[in-house]
Amino acid sequence: MQQRDNQNRLSQKYTNSVLLNGTLSTPRWWYPLVSVLLFFVVIGFILFGIQIKYGLGVTGLNRPVYWGLYITTFVFWVGISHAGIMISAILRITQAEWRRPVTRAAEILTIFSLATALVFPLIHAGRTWRIVYWLIPYDAARGIWPNIRSPLFMDPIAISTYLTGSTLFLFVALIPDLAVLRDRTTGFRKGFYTILALGWTGNPRQWKMQVVGGILLSALMLPIFVSVHSIVSWDFAVTTAVEGWHSTIFAPYFVIGAVHSGVSAVVTMMALMRWGWGWNDFIRPEHFDALARLLTVVATAWLGFTFLELLFAVYGLDAPEIALREMQIFQYPWNMLFLIFLLTGYILPVPMWLFKRVRTNIALMFWSSILVNIGMWLERFLIIVPGLARKSPFVFTWEAYTPSWFEWYILFWSFCWVTLLMLLFSRVFPLVPLFEQKESEVFSDSIKIGRATVPTIFREEEEEEED
Amino acid sequence: MTIKGHHKEWPPSDPKIVKDELFSSTIKGSSTLKLISKILGLLSILGLVGLIGKFLIDGGDQTQWGYVAATLAFIFSVTGGAPLVAIAPFIAKANWARPISRMAHVIGASAIVVNIIIMIPLLWVLPPLVVEGARRRSIWFEAPVYSPHFWDTLSLIMLAIAGLGLLYVSALPDFAIMRDNSQGFRKKIGNFLAGGFVGSTVQWSTLRMRVGVMSTLYFFIYIFVHVVISIDFSLSMVPGWRDAIYPMAHAMGGIQGGVALVIILAWIMRKYGKYENYLNINVFWALGRLMFATSLMWIYFFYSAFIVFWYGKSMSDNAWLDLLIRGPMVYVFILGMLFSFIFPWWWLIWNKVRNSINGPVIGAFIALTGVFFERIRVYVPAWSVDPKLIHDKWLTVIPETLYPDIWDILLILGSISFVVLTVIFISRIIPFIGVWEVQQFNLLAKPIKYIKAHGIRVAKPD
Amino acid sequence: MVTEEKRSWGMVIDTDKCNGCSGCVTACQVENNIPLNDQNKFERGRAMSWIRIERYWEGEFPDVKARFIPVLCQHCANAPCEPVCPVYATYHNDEGLNVQVYNRCVGTRYCANGCPYTVRFFNYWEPVWPEDLRNHLNPDVTIRSRGIMEKCSFCVQRIKRGSRKAKEENRELQDGEIKTACQEACSTNAIVFGDLNNPNSEVSKLSKSESDRKYTLMPQLNTDPNVVYLATIDPLKYKDLGEKAKSNDH
Repeated sequence: MQQRDNQNRLSQKYTNSVLLNGTLSTPRWWYPLVSVLLFFVVIGFILFGIQIKYGLGVTGLNRPVYWGLYITTFVFWVGISHAGIMISAILRITQAEWRRPVTRAAEILTIFSLATALVFPLIHAGRTWRIVYWLIPYDAARGIWPNIRSPLFMDPIAISTYLTGSTLFLFVALIPDLAVLRDRTTGFRKGFYTILALGWTGNPRQWKMQVVGGILLSALMLPIFVSVHSIVSWDFAVTTAVEGWHSTIFAPYFVIGAVHSGVSAVVTMMALMRWGWGWNDFIRPEHFDALARLLTVVATAWLGFTFLELLFAVYGLDAPEIALREMQIFQYPWNMLFLIFLLTGYILPVPMWLFKRVRTNIALMFWSSILVNIGMWLERFLIIVPGLARKSPFVFTWEAYTPSWFEWYILFWSFCWVTLLMLLFSRVFPLVPLFEQKESEVFSDSIKIGRATVPTIFREEEEEEED
Repeated sequence: MTIKGHHKEWPPSDPKIVKDELFSSTIKGSSTLKLISKILGLLSILGLVGLIGKFLIDGGDQTQWGYVAATLAFIFSVTGGAPLVAIAPFIAKANWARPISRMAHVIGASAIVVNIIIMIPLLWVLPPLVVEGARRRSIWFEAPVYSPHFWDTLSLIMLAIAGLGLLYVSALPDFAIMRDNSQGFRKKIGNFLAGGFVGSTVQWSTLRMRVGVMSTLYFFIYIFVHVVISIDFSLSMVPGWRDAIYPMAHAMGGIQGGVALVIILAWIMRKYGKYENYLNINVFWALGRLMFATSLMWIYFFYSAFIVFWYGKSMSDNAWLDLLIRGPMVYVFILGMLFSFIFPWWWLIWNKVRNSINGPVIGAFIALTGVFFERIRVYVPAWSVDPKLIHDKWLTVIPETLYPDIWDILLILGSISFVVLTVIFISRIIPFIGVWEVQQFNLLAKPIKYIKAHGIRVAKPD
Repeated sequence: MVTEEKRSWGMVIDTDKCNGCSGCVTACQVENNIPLNDQNKFERGRAMSWIRIERYWEGEFPDVKARFIPVLCQHCANAPCEPVCPVYATYHNDEGLNVQVYNRCVGTRYCANGCPYTVRFFNYWEPVWPEDLRNHLNPDVTIRSRGIMEKCSFCVQRIKRGSRKAKEENRELQDGEIKTACQEACSTNAIVFGDLNNPNSEVSKLSKSESDRKYTLMPQLNTDPNVVYLATIDPLKYKDLGEKAKSNDH
């Protein structure tokens, strides 16, 4: 079919057909991959059941290292979830054009990583079956409400608020595409899409509602974006007993680390989407270029915060804190982990990203973004575990921690779980927003300035409100 | 209601008209301006008198110098934060900031003299690293004992050079315009500063690169200055105060004040320079959003520290709460909270307020006052701590509330006056709305009608 | 009840008297049904002892001395473990005890991270006692299942029993009537337990004395513990035996 119209724009027909090739039809690799992932996920659930039956002894946790891989992975997934709002909300409010193919993928990454993150407190608790006391804010048992003062109670509140808001946001942005799907399917699927599309016909009033709704939700989500990971960081920061935890910088440090980690995860996902579904026309090198530039700024800010945190850790010259940092940075195996963390989190990827050739090379962006997430997972691990291993000046309580294969599998399981959910999502909803693509085609043009032909964007101006 | 904004308020498309209009502000100066300058000059001299008087009377007593330190921290951080209002949109390639970027850079370069003058006696009074044979806790660990003095002064000098350098590279084409179109001393200045700038392609791309490099450099220096000065001049003077977020909270207050200053200056230029076409509603709307965002950032950074100390309840945590929140500074804390967050937030949260010309300015004044209260809240008690306690593990004796004396008040008024005077002085030489930036904007953006919607068509050359 | 005075249970431990015999550790384990610690548990770092003896070496060879500190739950008035429990499984009761409610605990282990003395223990496995050891389990104390936090309770079962007995007999509790298991087993009477609010109790007199031997663990954390330690006596500090005897007098 005609790819480009007479103004060199991609035609709407082409856009629709290509971007819906994952939803209206199934790529060849989809069934085998989903089967494999489902297999791993089911094993994970079985292992979870085993842990419930026998107790947390199956992990490598001990006293005083009571929190290990599970909490690290929990914080990691909450961190990844910050990509969604960063990209959809902030870039929507600043009207950045390059967000367009990225927004929906980022939003579902948020939603599924939050859903995964919410599972981890269940996995890490000693008596999961009693957590009903905790998760439901109601004095269901003996008239006692959950303890709002505990950061561990504020966590699920914040995460579930974020999850609800993100889902709403995703849904509002999905509606026009759901209408497209409604008009292209039959039978049960058509009924499903009809209900969800809420009677969308694409008239100006509906478009205005959709845009305004998106912007309002973006603005509402921004405080949540900042507060969710801050609350998670306060799980650690409010504790005076553990060396290296009682630092005031944790809130913005974790948030900026989350943006670093999350946006890198989006880069990974974008590359996979381009390769998996063949969306070369829509996920272009310039998007990776823009993401990498954002990442460079964020990563440098993150490095600044890391430096400040380490500086103030040793600032007090407390013997226990110094002992902790010596172990964390100089003793094996922590020194190796610390080095890997610095290399993968900043030193390898960011100087690479200073070059446009690297930024527009999708394979390099893919691998560097994976490096970043390895580094960011290690960062959480290095914050949580060494502090507990060298807790307090009572050397009689110092202990080493080796994660058991059980915990490693659950970490692996979490990745399989998120990927599986996203693949299932892709069969029902399109991963790249169709209407955003079509809108960008309509809005873009080119003019001549002097001798150069320059691409342009049309920006709608806000009208003055009546009242 | 008709659609306001670009159809009525849009810069003229002819570059010659733009140039004439914008340069006219440097030449015409009403008698009111001269009167104001004279008053400011007088206050500046009184400020210098205040500083000298303070030094002669309280030269040896660190505990009386809190307000001087607070004034320095206030001035260097809010004027230093102003260029960031131009840098961030430049890096993000946002066009709305073009009319105000020159003002932002000018504010950044305007406090150099004041910073250095106030710094000198403060360095004298600053407690040494080695007290009674033992080193006190600082970020300088085993470094030479003159480290804080050296690095803090160097950082201010670096900030000054970076600010001037940034102003210079971003105003370079305007200097060329001055050289080609002005008379008298302005022509000489333009000739000297513009070098050989004729507007060739290579020169333009070099200019872009230079502005980018200077902007990034400025940002790093800005953070560096805040880290060293905020720690050396307040945090390390209180035993047991270990607060990793503090330098960033300090920097954030500077950005909040910087945005406020740019809004105020933009409002003055629009009202008294009659620049409605250039400083239109889009500019104030964007600045209003920035003002709102920085107030939120302030409360976020404050709360990050507060919740950790309040929850931890250890001896040093309680000492922080006593010293900076509920002790001698309780009323300043309340005022700071009101003016830095509560009032700006409740004022700027309304769309109508942000989307107006006068709304953001009121928010700016409130926020600027709030930053000042915050600086007082931190620096005054930090300097008032008894120097003999510096080796303690945590602060045990909370100092009494220190009230400003006449020398402090003269200094505060004088230093602010001199900064304003410097800005007025620079306005006589450099146009405050960047001529080349507006001319370039006219090439890139045009208001158009698309089907039934009004909008602008923005070219994206990169 | 004869008088409804608020009690505040506290302890004074004289580390000079402690010889590290670990009788308190054994007694506590028996009294409170603490799960058995086998070699695997020690290797994995999961051994549980609600009271532990910490041994520190003082001096250089050949003048090396071993110093012992029994560390148990300090029942802090300003406990860092209490505000962090999401389900209120640990709270401060009105008798000054930091109470752990077993059936409320969901095992998030946040309280254990908050405790600077590391006196909180988690049941990683379901506790198992061999057949012949089951007869010595104390019927007054709950057996904790897997997934539950536990710690020293100042033998709350003995406190409750003693208080109930006094109430039934319509009299006040006498000082020394309620002894914790560790106090009973201590071979040197290093552990003194009682009501800090009773001005006549031994623990009250010791903890309020002007002795410069008094200290609490990690005072910079402001936990306000109910356990006061008395430091070891430096023999060179006192001029004669009489003075030394006076300072250690009770």
